Amino acid sequence: MKVSQETQGSATLFIVEGQVDMHTSPELRGHLREALGSQASPLVVDLTKVGFIDSSGLATLIEALQAVGKYGGKLRLCGLTPEVRKLFDLAQLSTIFDLRDSRDDACSD
Amino acid sequence: MSDPHAATEDHVSFRMPSHPRYLPLVRSVVAESAELVGFDTDLRTRILLAVTEAVTNVIRHAYGGAEDRPIELEVRASEDELRLDLIDYGRFIDPKHIASRPLEDVRPGGLGVHLIKTTMDRVAYRENAHGGTTLTMVKHVSQPKESS
Repeated sequence: MKVSQETQGSATLFIVEGQVDMHTSPELRGHLREALGSQASPLVVDLTKVGFIDSSGLATLIEALQAVGKYGGKLRLCGLTPEVRKLFDLAQLSTIFDLRDSRDDACSD
Repeated sequence: MSDPHAATEDHVSFRMPSHPRYLPLVRSVVAESAELVGFDTDLRTRILLAVTEAVTNVIRHAYGGAEDRPIELEVRASEDELRLDLIDYGRFIDPKHIASRPLEDVRPGGLGVHLIKTTMDRVAYRENAHGGTTLTMVKHVSQPKESS
């Protein structure tokens, strides 16, 4: 898994590539915690190039969602492939997260 | 008794350390086997999630996070089902003692057992001869879920 970080407008954007599981989710968590520490908002996680995410990855995103909520910020996810969307549906998380189709939409104010 | 040297084209087994870096290897093997059985992309994704959650639970709960303990996976693919036997040498963990939360209680963790049970048609935990746990997971082709 690879995580790259960019700024797009006011958004802090994380582009994730690969598979997110117990082995790789700590790296994603580390990137997100850094942005959460500076109370950045909106945080956008682009999952376009993620082919698989397990409950460890989902837990990482739930943690970020709860942390961003504590300072009134926003977390958005974009680019979910049908396979990854299915995994969100199975965990009944699709309605919990702010899911956007495009990166531009997710990064808008 | 079956001949251990007989060719078993539909049976793949391997042993690996309990390090999470092997999770992609597990998914690769299971994905190929699920494709042999004929599961579509949606079901293959769900099966990969189930086996990932199961191996993750072994690492976390049976081995307490130790990364150098043995895990064995046996994969049997036939024309009507995929059977996965996951064997550890830790301590027997009754799945009832693995924290599982209601889905509406949104918080990190506690999803693994739920995701396994909702995906696979048959899920059985038993204490094995090594004192650890053997988890058997079966997914049928176009069969209704069995009640357990």
